[in-house]
Amino acid sequence: MIHIIKNEWRILLRGKIFVYSTILFLMSLTITVLLGISQNKNQQLLQKKAQNHMRQKWENLEAMNPHRAAHYGSYAFKTSNILNSMDSGINDITGNVIKLEGHVQNEILYSEASQSLSISKFGKLKASLLLQYVIPLFLIFLAFGSISNEKESKRLKILILQGISFSKLTFAKSLSIWIYGLLLLTITIGVQLIFGDATSETVIRLILIVISYGIYYYIISSLATFFSAKFKSSTSALSSILAIWIAWTIFLPKIWGNTVEKIYPLPSRKVFKTIMKEERLKGIDGHNPTDKRREEIKNKYLAIYNVDSLKNLPINFDGIVMQEDEEYGNIVWDKHFGNNYKILQKQKETYQKSGFFNPFASLQSLSMGFCGTDMFHHLDFLKKSEEYRRTLIKALNNEHAFGGAKTGDWKWTVDNTFFKSIEDFSYRNPKISDFLSHYLMDLLCLLWWSIITTILIKSRTNKELLI
Amino acid sequence: MIQYIQIIRSEYIHLIRSPFKIISLSLFIFALLYSCQNGYELFKKHNIEIESIISQNEKNIDEMLAQYEDIVKGEQKKLRRDPTIPYWAIWNTPSYAFKYPSNMMVFSLGQAEQYGYYKKVTNWSTTFDSDTAEEIANPERLAIGTLDFNFVLIYLLPILIIILLFNVGGLEKDLKFEKLIFLNNITKPRWLFIRFLFYFLVINILLFKLMFIYAFATGIFQNESFDFLNLLLITFLYIFFWFVIFYFINYFGKNSSDQALKMISTWILLSIIIPGSIHQITSIKYPVNYMIDYIDVDRDMSNDIFELPTDTVRIQLLKAFPFLEKTYFSDDINIDKSVINKSISGLVNIENKKISSVIESSNEEKNKFIRSLYLINPILAFQNKINSIARNDYYSYLTYRKHIQSIIDKKIEIILKDTWNNITVDSKRYAYYVKNFK
Repeated sequence: MIHIIKNEWRILLRGKIFVYSTILFLMSLTITVLLGISQNKNQQLLQKKAQNHMRQKWENLEAMNPHRAAHYGSYAFKTSNILNSMDSGINDITGNVIKLEGHVQNEILYSEASQSLSISKFGKLKASLLLQYVIPLFLIFLAFGSISNEKESKRLKILILQGISFSKLTFAKSLSIWIYGLLLLTITIGVQLIFGDATSETVIRLILIVISYGIYYYIISSLATFFSAKFKSSTSALSSILAIWIAWTIFLPKIWGNTVEKIYPLPSRKVFKTIMKEERLKGIDGHNPTDKRREEIKNKYLAIYNVDSLKNLPINFDGIVMQEDEEYGNIVWDKHFGNNYKILQKQKETYQKSGFFNPFASLQSLSMGFCGTDMFHHLDFLKKSEEYRRTLIKALNNEHAFGGAKTGDWKWTVDNTFFKSIEDFSYRNPKISDFLSHYLMDLLCLLWWSIITTILIKSRTNKELLI
Repeated sequence: MIQYIQIIRSEYIHLIRSPFKIISLSLFIFALLYSCQNGYELFKKHNIEIESIISQNEKNIDEMLAQYEDIVKGEQKKLRRDPTIPYWAIWNTPSYAFKYPSNMMVFSLGQAEQYGYYKKVTNWSTTFDSDTAEEIANPERLAIGTLDFNFVLIYLLPILIIILLFNVGGLEKDLKFEKLIFLNNITKPRWLFIRFLFYFLVINILLFKLMFIYAFATGIFQNESFDFLNLLLITFLYIFFWFVIFYFINYFGKNSSDQALKMISTWILLSIIIPGSIHQITSIKYPVNYMIDYIDVDRDMSNDIFELPTDTVRIQLLKAFPFLEKTYFSDDINIDKSVINKSISGLVNIENKKISSVIESSNEEKNKFIRSLYLINPILAFQNKINSIARNDYYSYLTYRKHIQSIIDKKIEIILKDTWNNITVDSKRYAYYVKNFK
C-alpha cells in the first residue's frame, strides 16, 4: 500500500502542472489566511475602540436619575473570534451592535451586508472558501482519472497481473490524493497557528477543524477514485463526480435551507413584537393586568415597612415597580425568545440531518461551529448581552429604589461614582467543549459518509469492467 | 444551410440520448421553478404583511375619530396623552413607511432579506432604527442565501452550460475522429459555432418561456414591462457572456476532461474566487461600521438638547425652522416649556440627518469601490444589475430610507406648525393628519 502511495506521489510530482498548482495553492492559502488575520485584527480593534468609547461615555455620565440612566443605556458590540479570520460564517450578515436599555430588549443591528451593495454570494475569500470549494475540486481533478487513465493506457491489466489487489490499488490511489488534501489543510492551519495568536482553545478548535476537513477530503477523494474505477472512461467519471459536487455544494444547501425554514417557520417581527407587547401589558397568561400587579406589589411593600402610604415608605417605590416590571418583561421575553430559539434549533437540527445525503452541509456547519461563527455562537452572544442588560438595569433600579430617594422624587440623582461601579459588558467566546454536543450530528454524518465511501471502494469497484 | 440544419439535428439527438444532460436540464428547470416560486411567495408575504398593517391602521384611525366624537359629546375622560394637542394627535396618527415589493421580486430577492420593509414612523424616528433591520430569520439560512431566480441564473446556469457543452468538440477529440469532421467541408469555428448555437437557443428559449409564465402570473406587464424587457436583455447578455468564454475553451481544448476542468475552473474563478477576494479587500479597506457617531448623536446630542434652557432651544428652533416666525408663539419670550419640549424632536432630527448623510456617504464610497471593480468582477455586475431591476439592491433601500426621512420631516413640520399656532385638534384636523400620512 505504502509503495503504491509513494509511487503515486512520484508520478504526481513529475507533472509540472501539479507542482505549479500546488505552489499556487500554498501561496493563495497563505495569503488568504494572512489577509483574514489582518482583517480580523482590524475589526477586533474597531470593536474594542467602540466598546471603550461607550464605556467612557458611561463612566463620564453627569449626575442623573438612575432610571434616566437606564434609558440612556449601554451598548454591546459583537466580538469576533480569532478564527473568524478562517471562516466568517454568519458574521457578515448578522448585526454587530445591540443597545442595552431599560424596558426593552433590542435587536442586534448594523450588519456589514446592509452597509453596501451585495458583493459576493459565497462570502469573503477566507481560508474556508478555498478549503470548502477549491481544494475539494482540485482533489476531484486529481482523482477522476487515477484509475480510468490506468485502464485507458492498459497499465491496469499489467498491475493486476503483477498481483496487486484491485481494491488495494484503488484505496491506495485514493489515499495518496487525500494525503495531498491533508497537506494543504495542515499548512493552512499551520499558518493560522503561527500568525493568529493561538491559545489552547483555538488549538483545540483548529484540531477539530483539521479532523472535519480531513474526513471530508477523504470522502471526496475516495468517491472520485471510486467513480474513476467504476466508469469506463475518465470523462464519465469526471462528469459524475462533478455533478455530485455541484449538487452538494451549490444546489442542496440552498434547497434544503429554504425548505427547513418552511417546515419550521419563524414569526414575523410584527407578530413577535405585537404578542410581546400585549403579554407585557395584559399579563403573561392574559389574566394579570399591569395595574393589578402594581397594586399587589404596593400592598406587599406597605406591609413590609408597616406604613399606610407610599409617601411614608423609606424607599423609592418607583424603583421597585420598575424592577418588577423589568422582571415581568424578562419572563415574557424568555417565553417568546425561547420559542424562537427552539424554532431556530429545530431548523438547525433538520438542516444538519441533510448531512446524511450531503456531507458538504455537515462540513460547512462544523467549519462555522469550530470557528465560532455559527448561529449557536451568535445566540450565545445575544444571551450574554441580555444577561448583562438585566444585571445593569437591576443595579440601576435597585439604586433608584434603595439609594436614598423617596417615591415620586424623579429629580433625585446619583453621580458617576455609582455608574463607574457597574462593571462593563465583557464577552468571552464560549469554549468549544460546551458546544460540542451541537455538532455531534454533523460529525456523525461525516463519519457515516467516510464509512460508505470506504465500503464502496473496498467492495463495489467494478473490476470486470476494467479488465 | 442544410449542413447546418443537419448539425443542429444531430446535436438534438445527442442531447436527448444523453441521460446525464437531460437529468441536469430537468434539475435546472426544477431549480428555476422553485426559485421563482420562492420569489413569488416572498412577494406575496410582503404584500400580505403590508395589507395587514394598513388594515390595523384603519382600525386605529376609526378609534381615534370615535374619541373626537366623544370629546364633542363630553363623554371622553381627560387623557394623559390629550388627543386635542397636535403633538399627541400626530403621535396617534398611524404612519408607516412601506417598501412595496416590486412584481419583479419574483426574479430576484436581492438584498430584501437584509432590510426591513415596513416601519412605524414617529417624529423621533431615524433611518437607522431597529425596525429598518432585517426580519427575524435564521442567520445561517441567510448566510447560505435563498435560491432565487437571480442565483439560478447567475450561478447555476453556467454550471448547466458546462454540463451541456463540456464534451462538445471534446468527444470527437476523445474518440480521435475530430479530423474526419473537417473533411466534410466545414471549418472548426463554424462547426463549433453551430453546435453552440443550438444550446444557446435551447437555454434562451427555456429561460424566456419560464420567465414569461411568471411575469404573467405576477402581473409584471401591468406596469413593469420595461423592467422585464431589461431583465430579458441582461439574461441574454449573461448567457452570451458564458457561451463566448466556453467557446474559446472548447476551441482550444484537448479533450472532454480538459475542457470540463477548464470550464469549471473558470466558473470557480469568476463566481467564487474573484467576488470573494473583492469582498475581502473591500472589508479591509472599508471595515464594518459600528455606527458610533450615529449612536452618539441619537443618544447624547438629544440628551444635550433637552438640557438646554428653554429660550436657547426656542432661538435654535426659530433659526432652524424659519416658518415658525409667523406662528402664534413666535414672539413669546416666555413660551411654555411644554411647547418647546414638543418641538425638540425637530432639532434632534436635524442632527440625525447630518450624521445619516455622513454614514450614507461612507457607504457610497464603499459602493463606488465595489462598482469600480465590476470589470474584473463581471458576475457581480450582472447580479447587482438584476437586483436593481427587481428593486431589491442597496439603492432601492436607500430610496426607502429617504422615504422614511421624508415622513419624519413632514411629521415634525406639522407638529411644529400646529403646536406653535396653538391649534386644538378636532376630528377634521385629525383627518387632515391622516391624509398627510396615508
